[in-house]
Order: sequence, then structure tokens, then C-alpha cells
Amino acid sequence: MSDLKAQIVAQLNLQHVKPEDIGDDMPLFAEGLGLDSIDALELIVLLQQEYKLKLNNAEEGPKVFRTVRTMAEYIKSHQA
Amino acid sequence: MKAYIRSAAIVAPQDGSAGTPLLRQVLTYTGNRLTCAEPDYNQFIDPRAIRRMSRIIKMGTAAAMQCLQLADVQMPGAITMGTAYGCLEDTGVFMKRMVEQHEEMLTPTSFIQSTHNTISAQIALQLQCHAYNNTFVHRGFSFESALLDAKMLLEEGQKQVLTGAADEITPYSFSILQRFGLYKTDPGNNIDLYNRPGKGTMAGEGAAFFLLDSSDHPGNYAIVDGLHTFYKPAGIETIWENITQFLAANELQPGDIDLLVTGRNGDAAGDKIYAEMQEAIFPEQVAIGFKFLCGEYPTASAFALWMAARILKEQQLPAVFGVTQPASLRRVLIYNHYEQIHHSLMLLRAC
Repeated sequence: MSDLKAQIVAQLNLQHVKPEDIGDDMPLFAEGLGLDSIDALELIVLLQQEYKLKLNNAEEGPKVFRTVRTMAEYIKSHQA
Repeated sequence: MKAYIRSAAIVAPQDGSAGTPLLRQVLTYTGNRLTCAEPDYNQFIDPRAIRRMSRIIKMGTAAAMQCLQLADVQMPGAITMGTAYGCLEDTGVFMKRMVEQHEEMLTPTSFIQSTHNTISAQIALQLQCHAYNNTFVHRGFSFESALLDAKMLLEEGQKQVLTGAADEITPYSFSILQRFGLYKTDPGNNIDLYNRPGKGTMAGEGAAFFLLDSSDHPGNYAIVDGLHTFYKPAGIETIWENITQFLAANELQPGDIDLLVTGRNGDAAGDKIYAEMQEAIFPEQVAIGFKFLCGEYPTASAFALWMAARILKEQQLPAVFGVTQPASLRRVLIYNHYEQIHHSLMLLRAC
């Protein structure tokens, strides 16, 4: 998960956030890390670029991108 | 309806701080390119928003925010701005990725921010301003069009309009424009620009914003009395006609102008127009240039307006111009042309 956090910080250019500042279960959007809808698109691109994963069902987005842990679980379960 | 300049701010190759006298310290640049002296953007922009902004967006947004801070105004009634090149850096990033990644997996940020109206949109987002918002992309008339729109909005009843311009130069755009022969090839510095006659000028960039107000306030900088543009004049006589008719429309004679600000940029062919015009119409007037301070770019006239407004507010001609201060500093005429194609006149009056 630490690699994933570093990728998120780099992709979103979170200048004042260190990867270790992001808790495994911290919400990525709204009151958590404060990401917005443009960041959601950037995260979709990150999954494609780094893990060759395409999020086919847009309705899955809120569930997949809830926290770093849910993202990691999605990657793990789809990378067989 | 009068259009008062209530405040003005820049991010430019010169320090535009409001707290110090105009151009007390002049920044010098060697070569053929002037780049902006950028401030600490955290002073003016929400740090959470900065992470996504390219340089031109930060320059424009910071100039706009500083302008509003100086006027102590939180929310303008409208926002208009001009840009010729738009957000070149993000355009370059997006197009490079299109090629390199075969149009796959393109990140949205550089695409969204490659559009010309990103800067005025970001200003509105920062302010949560849902009012009229328009960006003009009219090459060498981009700023003048934004200023004209702002003046018309005041005439229609708006109280305060934030207006300005921004253009950047990137390594890509610089090398392309250099290939077109726009810039000088001899080594030299900007202070000596007018002593290096020949072909070409120095590249520049910058952002400038103004809060135009329909009412008089203590501390207003100047009044924008007139604005006129003309495109590809047939010859020097047509230029003279445009200038004299513009003055007449404002009930002025050439002798009523205290200071002439011209867009001389060191390019011999373009500067000849200013020299002939000055000799024919304004032989007695004190004339100064401004492009040795900011370089040449399509919205450089916004820098000239900022500079002229500060001169009128401070009633002092900075020493860098090396001219004797006129006895009176009431009326300033700015005459600029971009590439001898887009010609503009702006008439300012002291408050």
C-alpha cells in the first residue's frame, strides 16, 4: 500500500502531503484527503497506467476509490 | 460613465509590488527572453488549488487576487480577460502525451487546463464568483477586447469589473517563435534593447489585472478615458489619422498629452512607426517605452496600462526611463502595435 500512496501523491501532485500521511482507511474524498472529481479521473488513469486495470463500470468508482485500502484490494483482486 | 482604475497588479518580468515606488529596482535579463519574477503564490491562492495549476494559471490568478486585495474588494461584478496564447504549458503536456501514449490513458488535468478560459475560470472558482465571465482570444487585441468589454459592462450599470490579461512563453513556443525570426539573435540585455537596432525583439510574458470601478474612491489610480483599436492600417498616414481622430473624439489636441507610452520593442521596422508618429504628431511630448521591461508578447499592452496607471497614481516618472519628467502628469496616451498588425490606443487621465 505504501507504493500506491506514493503513486497517488505523485499523480495528483499533492505538494503538502507525504505518502505516510495518508492512512490506509482514510477517506480519499470530501472530509478525508479532500480529493475532487478531477482527482477521481486522475485515479482512473493511474490504475490504467500503473496496473493496466480499466474501471469498466463507473458505478464501482465510489466503492473502489473510497480509501487506499479499497483501491489496493481492487488492484489485488483484478490482477490475477 | 467613467472607468476608474481602482487597483492594478502584475506578475511580470519586473517587481510590481504595490508597497514600493514603481520600478525602483529594475530586473535585467541577458539574451532574448524575459521571464516573470514569480511571487510566493501561497500568499494569493488556496494551496490546495495550486497543486493543479500550471505557471500561467498561477500567474494570472495571483495577479487577479492581488488586484482585489489592493482594492479591498472581495467579489467583482464581472470578470473579463484576454489571452492570445492561452495555457501553452498544459497544451504542450497534453499534446505530447497524445503522441507518446497513442491517445490512450490521457490525464484529464492538462486537457481541462489547456483551454484559453482556464485562468478566468480559476479566478471565479477561487472567489466562488458566479457572475459574468468572459475570455477574449483576439491575438494582439486580446487585452483591448477584455478592457472594452469591461468598460461596456460599467456603462450598462456594473459597479466593479475585474479585467486583465495573461500570456506565457514556454520553451516550445519560444523556439517556434524564434524560428519565425521574432527575436534578436545578438547577445545583449533588456536595458539596452533600444540601442540594438536591427531585426527582432526580446520575448516576454506576464499577467496584469485591474479592478475597474464606476465610482471615484480615494486611492484610485487613474481613469481610462478612451480605447481604440485598428487592424492592419494601410500606411503611416492611416495610423496618424487614427491617432488624431481618437484624440479629437476625446476632445483633445496632441499638445494635451503629457506623456506618450509607446510599444517600442527594438525591432527596427516596427519602431520606425513609433518614431515617425512621434515626430509628426507629438514632437514636444515626453515619450517612454515599456517593452524593455516586460518583453514582447501579444498582451503586453496590459503591462503598459499597469505602468501608466502607477505613474499617474504616484505622479513620478521612474529614473529608469532616463527622461525629464513633464511639468504636468495628467494625461497619458499608450500607443502599441503587435507585429505591425494589431494597433491600439489607450487614453488615461489622472484622478
